[in-house]
Amino acid sequence: MIHKYTLWEKIGLYSAIAVFLIFVLAPFAEAFMVSLRPIESVFRVPYQFFSDDMTFAAYVDMWSEVPGLARYIFNSFFIAACVTLLAIVCIIPAAYSFSRFDYRGRNSLLTAFLAINMVGAAVLIIPLYKLMFSLGLLNSYWSMILPGAAFTVPTGIFLMRSYFLRIPKELEEAAYVDGAGRLYTLWRVILPVALPGIVVVTITTFITAYAQQFLFALTFNGKDEYHPLTVGLYQFFGRERILWNQVMAASLVGTLPVLIVYVFLQKYIVAGLTAGAVKE
Amino acid sequence: MGQLKLSGVTKTFGKAQVIRPTDLVIEDGDFAVFVGPSGCGKSTMLRMIAGLEEVTDGTIEIDGRVVNDLPPVKRGISMVFQSYALYPHMSVYENIAFPLRVARTPQAEVDKLVNRAADVLQLQSRLQHRPGALSGGQRQRVAIGRAIVREPSVFLFDEPLSNLDAALRAEMRVELSRLHAQLGNTMIYVTHDQIEAMTMADKIIVLRDGMIEQAGDPLTLYHQPRNRFVAGFIGNPTMNFLPVTATGVGEGGVTVRGEDGAEILIPVSAEGVRTGDTLSLGVRPDDLHPGEGEAGMPLVPDVVERLGNQTVVYANTRSGTPVCVVAGGSEDVRPGREIRARFDPADAHLFRADDTALARRVDLARLAALA
Ligand SMILES: Nc1ncnc2c1ncn2[C@@H]1O[C@H](COP(=O)(O)OP(=O)(O)OP(=O)(O)O)[C@@H](O)[C@H]1O
Ligand SMILES: [Mg+2]
Repeated sequence: MIHKYTLWEKIGLYSAIAVFLIFVLAPFAEAFMVSLRPIESVFRVPYQFFSDDMTFAAYVDMWSEVPGLARYIFNSFFIAACVTLLAIVCIIPAAYSFSRFDYRGRNSLLTAFLAINMVGAAVLIIPLYKLMFSLGLLNSYWSMILPGAAFTVPTGIFLMRSYFLRIPKELEEAAYVDGAGRLYTLWRVILPVALPGIVVVTITTFITAYAQQFLFALTFNGKDEYHPLTVGLYQFFGRERILWNQVMAASLVGTLPVLIVYVFLQKYIVAGLTAGAVKE
Repeated sequence: MGQLKLSGVTKTFGKAQVIRPTDLVIEDGDFAVFVGPSGCGKSTMLRMIAGLEEVTDGTIEIDGRVVNDLPPVKRGISMVFQSYALYPHMSVYENIAFPLRVARTPQAEVDKLVNRAADVLQLQSRLQHRPGALSGGQRQRVAIGRAIVREPSVFLFDEPLSNLDAALRAEMRVELSRLHAQLGNTMIYVTHDQIEAMTMADKIIVLRDGMIEQAGDPLTLYHQPRNRFVAGFIGNPTMNFLPVTATGVGEGGVTVRGEDGAEILIPVSAEGVRTGDTLSLGVRPDDLHPGEGEAGMPLVPDVVERLGNQTVVYANTRSGTPVCVVAGGSEDVRPGREIRARFDPADAHLFRADDTALARRVDLARLAALA
C-alpha cells in the first residue's frame, strides 16, 4: 500500500515519537549526567545540566569503592544467562506441544501457567523460600536461577506458542511425507524457521531475568560473592552519604551486558524468514 | 509398481461423514484426476492415500499391500502440497535433497539424484537460491522436485497449479504431462480445473459430497455421463438442461416434447422410461448451432460474449429456461433479437427425474482409439 503522509501528519508522527523517546531516554540521560558529576555537585541548586566540573572519575573510583563490583556484574550476567538457557530449554518443547498436539487439559494447563505468572513472584516468595530451604538451595546460584527461570517460562511459552502457530502445518506434513520423524522435523525444519521467534523470546527472557534478580537474591541468597549487581549496588549506600554518581556509573556499566546480548541477537530478528514457504 | 486400491474407505470428522464408503482402483502408471466442487472431500481423499489422515473404515492397498497403518514413506508415495510447503531456510538444492537426507543417502548419490531432478525440472541455475527468491512456477517445480527425487511409486498432487496465472498453468500442465510420460509413475491429481482434468487424465474421478459420482476416462465422462451432476460438471460452458415430457418410447429411442410443443426423437436406451414421464434434456452449448433444423428451439439472447474465435450466447427460452450457445465467431447474434438454435438429436442427453442418465449410443471404441 502506498500512503503519502501530509506535512501535518508527518509533524504529528515525529513529535509523538520524540515525546515517547524523551520519556524513555530521559532517565538514562540524567543518570549519565549524574555519573559525570562530582558527588558535591549532584544536588547543586540551581540545577545545571552541563557544568565545568564534569569528570569520569566515578567510573574509576567505583571499582575501588566497592571491590566486589566486577563480581556483581558478572553474577548478574551469569545468573541471567543461566536463567535464559534453562528457560529456553523448557519453553521450546512446551510451546511446541501447546501449538501442535491436541490433548486433554491442554488449554487449562496453558491458562494455569499464565495465572501463576499473574500472581507473581512477590506473593509466592515465602512458599518459595520454604521450598528452597527444603531443597537445600539457599545461598547458591541455583536459588536465583531456578525461580528466575520458573517465572519467565510462562510468558515465554505464550510468545513462542504464537510463533509456532504461525508456521504453516504443511511444512511439517511435507517433512512427514518425506520420511522425517517428529524430532528431526523439529530440529531441521521448525526451529530454523522459528529462529526469529526464538531470538525474541531469548531477549525478553534475558531482560526479564536480568531485571527480576533483585527479589530472589535478596530473599534466597546471603552470600556476598553470589550477589547480582542490583543487590551489590547497596554497598554504595549506608555510609555517611550515598555516592549517587558512582551508583549511576555502576548501573550504566551494569546495563552493558544486556546491550551486548541485544546487539548480538538482534541481527537474527529478521522479518520474512518464512518467505517462499507457502503460497501467500 | 503403483497400483492403488481403495475398498470401502470411509472418513468421518466427529459426526460428519466426509467420505462415504468408496471403492476405487487406479492402475499402475495411470494419471488419475479427482475433480469435484469445493468441500467434496478431494483433499481428504488424497491425504488418506498419503497417510496424513487416518481412514475411519475400509482399506487402502498399494500394489496389493494394505498400507492403512504405514507412514507415507513406507507406502511409497510422495506428495506435492496445495501450498508448496517448501523449507524457507534451505536452498533449492537442500529442499530437493531433504527426503534423501532423511534417508541418510550418501552425498555422491544425493548429488546425482538432485541434479537429475533439477535437469528434468530446469532448475539447474536456481539450485543455490532460497525459495523466497523464486517465482511461483519455480517454487512449484521445486516442490515437484522434492517429490520426484525419492522415486516413489505413487505421486499425489493437491491442486498444484491453483494460484498460478493462466499462462504459467498452461506451461506447467504440459510439463506435468511430460513428466508423467517420462517417469511413468502413478499420479493422482486433485484439481478444480476442467481443462487440467480433461487434458492430463487417463482417468477422471468425479466426487460430490464424499461420494464418487463417476470414474472413467475423460471422453467417457464427457459423452456418457452417468448422471446430471457429472454432465453438468464436465464440459465448459456447462450443459444446458431443458424440461421435457416423454411422449413415446421405442426401439429407436425416446420421443420427447419440449416446452414449445415440438417433438424430438432422441436415440437413447429407453430403459425405465414410460410415456408421460418428466425428463431432462441435456444439450451442450457447443452442440447448439444458430439456424433451422430437425430439432431446435427459439431463444432470446440476453448477453453475447465475443471471444474472437467463437461467440458465447447466454439466452433464454420463451418460458425463461437459461440456455447457453457457443456459436461461430462472426455469427450475427444481438441481445434481445430472437434466434433459433438447432442441434443433432444424437448429441443430446436425457436424464430421468432422479437425475440418472439414459444410456447414449456413442461409439466409444472409436473415441478410445483417438486417445
Ligand atoms: N480436520 C477436519 N475436521 C473437520 N472437518 C474437516 C476437516 N478437514 C476437512 N473437513 C471437512 O471435510 C470436507 C471435505 O474437505 P476437503 O478439504 O477434503 O475438501 P476439498 O474437496 O479438498 O475442497 P477444496 O476444493 O475447497 O480444497 C469439508 O466439508 C471440510 O469441512
Ligand atoms: Mg482441497
